[in-house]
Amino acid sequence: MGVIEAKDVTRRYGEGDAAVDALRGVSLDVPAGQFAAVMGPSGSGKSTLMHILAGLDRPTSGTVTIDGTEITTLNDKRLTLLRRHNIGFIFQFFNLLPTLTAEENILLPLQIAGTKPDDAWVEAVIERVGLGDRRRHRPAELSGGQQQRVAIARALVSRPTVIFADEPTGNLDSATSGEILTVLREAVDSYQQTTVMVTHDVNAAATADRALFLADGLIVRDAPCNAASDIMAIMAELAAR
Amino acid sequence: MTRYALRSIASHKLRTVLTAIAIVLGTAMMAGTFVITDQIRNAFSEIFGTSFAGTDVYLSQRPAFGSGSGQDQVGPLPASLIPRVRQVPGVAKADGQIQASGSLVVHGKYLTSQGGAPNLVVSTLPKPFNQNTLVAGHYPNAHGQVALIQQTATDHHLHVGQHVGLTTLGGVQPVTIVGIFKFGNVASIGGATVIATTFADAQHWYDRVDKASTISVAADHGISPGELRRRLQAALPHFVKVQTGTQAAKQQTDQVSNSINSFFTPALLAFAGAAVLVGAFVIFNTFSITVAQRMREFAMLRTIGAMRRQVLLTVLGEALVIGIAASVIGIVAGVGFAKLLGALFKAVGFGLPLAAIKVHAWPGVIVPLLVGVLVTLAASIAPARRATRVPPIAALREGAVLPPGRFTRAVPYIAGLVLVIGILAVFQGVTGSGPTTARLLTIAAGAILSFIGLAMVSKYLIRPLARAIGWPLGLRGGASGRLARENTTRNTGRTAVTAAALMIGIGLVVFFSVLINGFKQSFLGSIDTSITSSLIIENHSQGAAVPTAAVKAAAHAPGVASASGIAFTNVRINKGGTDVANGVDPQALPKLYMFQWQKGGSDALLGRLSGTNALVEEQFAKSHHLSPGSTFHVTSVDGLRLTLHEIGQYKDPVLFGGFMVSRATYGQLATDSNPQVLLVRYAAGVNTDQTTKAVKAALHRYPDVNVQTNAQFKASFSKQINQLLYLLYILLAMSVVISLFGIVNTLALSVFERTREIGMLRAIGTTRFQLRETILYESVITAIIGGLLGIVIGVVLAWVVALGFRSSGIVFAIPYGQVILSLFVAAIAGVVAAAFPARRAARLNVLEALQYE
Repeated sequence: MGVIEAKDVTRRYGEGDAAVDALRGVSLDVPAGQFAAVMGPSGSGKSTLMHILAGLDRPTSGTVTIDGTEITTLNDKRLTLLRRHNIGFIFQFFNLLPTLTAEENILLPLQIAGTKPDDAWVEAVIERVGLGDRRRHRPAELSGGQQQRVAIARALVSRPTVIFADEPTGNLDSATSGEILTVLREAVDSYQQTTVMVTHDVNAAATADRALFLADGLIVRDAPCNAASDIMAIMAELAAR
Repeated sequence: MTRYALRSIASHKLRTVLTAIAIVLGTAMMAGTFVITDQIRNAFSEIFGTSFAGTDVYLSQRPAFGSGSGQDQVGPLPASLIPRVRQVPGVAKADGQIQASGSLVVHGKYLTSQGGAPNLVVSTLPKPFNQNTLVAGHYPNAHGQVALIQQTATDHHLHVGQHVGLTTLGGVQPVTIVGIFKFGNVASIGGATVIATTFADAQHWYDRVDKASTISVAADHGISPGELRRRLQAALPHFVKVQTGTQAAKQQTDQVSNSINSFFTPALLAFAGAAVLVGAFVIFNTFSITVAQRMREFAMLRTIGAMRRQVLLTVLGEALVIGIAASVIGIVAGVGFAKLLGALFKAVGFGLPLAAIKVHAWPGVIVPLLVGVLVTLAASIAPARRATRVPPIAALREGAVLPPGRFTRAVPYIAGLVLVIGILAVFQGVTGSGPTTARLLTIAAGAILSFIGLAMVSKYLIRPLARAIGWPLGLRGGASGRLARENTTRNTGRTAVTAAALMIGIGLVVFFSVLINGFKQSFLGSIDTSITSSLIIENHSQGAAVPTAAVKAAAHAPGVASASGIAFTNVRINKGGTDVANGVDPQALPKLYMFQWQKGGSDALLGRLSGTNALVEEQFAKSHHLSPGSTFHVTSVDGLRLTLHEIGQYKDPVLFGGFMVSRATYGQLATDSNPQVLLVRYAAGVNTDQTTKAVKAALHRYPDVNVQTNAQFKASFSKQINQLLYLLYILLAMSVVISLFGIVNTLALSVFERTREIGMLRAIGTTRFQLRETILYESVITAIIGGLLGIVIGVVLAWVVALGFRSSGIVFAIPYGQVILSLFVAAIAGVVAAAFPARRAARLNVLEALQYE
């Protein structure tokens, strides 16, 4: 049994002739502690899949369970609480609050949930992402890479069941991307943190344990991955079909 | 580019509407002021036009000086003039009329007019002078007959043949209603009660034997009113003022006009001005925010070749369109506002006759239009200039910031300077010499400067204030309170201007509350410390006399130790302005009033208060350079001159400003020797309730006088003052409402600006409720900052004004309850303002918000 289970998920936008099927029956299963990458060209439905898995969007049909909870039928309030306690997010454009310091941004989910932070854990997370000396800085005073480290720490701090990362390197140069991926990989390894990352960066996918390839709203390949070259090979194969 | 500006307005309808409302309400108040003052003026013009329609020439006592408060103050003419006038060739007819104050008593109940209008008694004139229209019965032609105006009859269900009473200086007279009439063709003169009697009855009942208040003259055929006026002027003594009917109507209309123009219009316009000023803040803020939000748009325009000037004109073009549209709507809404004002004045007892609504291009349309458009343009100039500084490269970069302006560093100093200059100007206006209009304008300009100055300064106070106010919210609201606090300090300039708009309304509320409370406290305090009577008795009609006969009756009531009337009137001092002459009874007064003697005086001085001897108030002595032994000249409104000798000084600028003479001397100076106030003191040891009943019984023939204990008198005084205060609150509510729209606008734009942030917050687990809470707290923090700043500036300005009036006995007393209440009102305004933006934020779709650019 996986932490995330999706069965026959479809998502249709619009109606009648103008209808577009973003997902046409996707099933997947992510076991605890796995770092999964979802790949695919633009329009393949990978973002839609992530939004549905994270409870930000609802499928047209099919079911999604997170940690045993069927989420597609939850109301907004329950969904919000689910996001609050079970899901962490890392965004392409960081999405930090400009008025808060790095540390305050990291603590934000706990504040919103009204839970008292576990100081040792917070400390550990901040050290893990390498922000020890930057915690009092505001986002405007941090580089892109540093801002994304803050975002990773913010996702980790509430010990969510799963973290969703949406193109986490999409707005970073390649050197910084590498650093961020290392941070993410290390976090997954040391905390057994289940993570789903949507990306079209081959190097990013290579950091994951497993890569799911989407095309035209369907999973066309599901493979374990170790090196960028393996993934390139799969992509070449898929492109050739 | 014009099309671009229009498109921009069309695509932001909500923002445009909220911005426009800020100007609509202010211009509506302004237009409404012009409409209602014009209505009042026309109503009086119609009234006087009707009154004098059949009068060719009109004779009255020539006033020695313009008291500015109408003709009722001048004394009557000798009735012996009437036969003399009839002898003058060209005179077809001449008749005298008595005008007095009094009303009917029906089933023991005294009938008062509506909304504070006067209670008039007039003697009936024959045709052609009588321009009334009979509705029922006939005009009085024998002793004991009265006719009354239709409205009074309708209101109190009176009919011809009914036996009622009429209050006179000699007590209630039994009279019979013989007629009901309309004034010209209207049923009411602004709610006044009007009772017509015979000429002889009125002479006897109102102390006018052998007198006539005025004489109306009709000319023979072929003699023009002008010609007759010249003949009469030549034939009559100088103290008779001879006017044609047209001149008299015009003069009386002008007199009303002048008092409207010198007080009513400027006062209302000042409140409208406050509303417009608040509107200016709202517009400035909205444009500042939208310019900041549209930086990429402006940058894009610049990259494709738009000149700075074109960007400037785009923003100003939007402002112009909004300004014109809002002002036009405001002018239309002004008619409704005029109606509201009319109802409001009536409700608080300032009922005035109102003619039909007419809107004139000047000033009713042009002034509000100009003010509305110019203020909108002026408020948007700074944001528009900022838009021109957007560098084209901002189009390509996320999060580009504007280069700072040239004067950024100097701003805090300039702001402080503006604030200080403003406060000093207010003080200068209050204490300085010069014409009243100039001083009032100085005060207004000073107030505006202090508001602007404090608004600029407040930018630097937002952080600590938000931290302090947000602290309890943070404790209660957890993350929401915390986020709200951060949001208010995110752009301190924006929060400052939003709060400042509310600050103006609250500031003025507090200013008037404090000032009027000071006035009230000084009056009540003076009564407590100086008046040692048991009862304070006045006429139900404001300013009307307490008959001397009533004073005597009260004095003889069982249990009364002493009773004494106090009379006062305006007289001219030396060759300068006017001041108050008080006529007192030197024997009785010290038992009813405790003198605060100056320069070693004592109650013994009262023994010498007779003839031309006078006691003077300290401030009066100061302004006329008097000391015991020196003399001053007074002239009564009827032209009598007296040289008075100062014998001592007392201090009481509140109750007994001016000077005191004996009632006998006062009788020479006043046209009506009856007092306006009667003080009654009980003998030691009597039962007060029984004695009060005894006094009321002794005064049963004078139902027009209002017997009140000191406590009751103070309570009804406080009630009147509070009514005035409520009226001011209602007028100021408009400013608060405008600032409320300002808060809504700022919050809505901030929500829009932070869409992606809100998406993120929702994504990581913020509930809709928490989000609403955040925005609510943000709004409340901003509003409370506005309230606090308003309280500070209101109290400071009131203190400055009170300081200027200290010599008049006005104390500075903060009404803490009202001040705290105004803070509460500010907080409520914050709650109300948050409703719409909070709902909007809570309803954002998380996914769309996250992907929002």
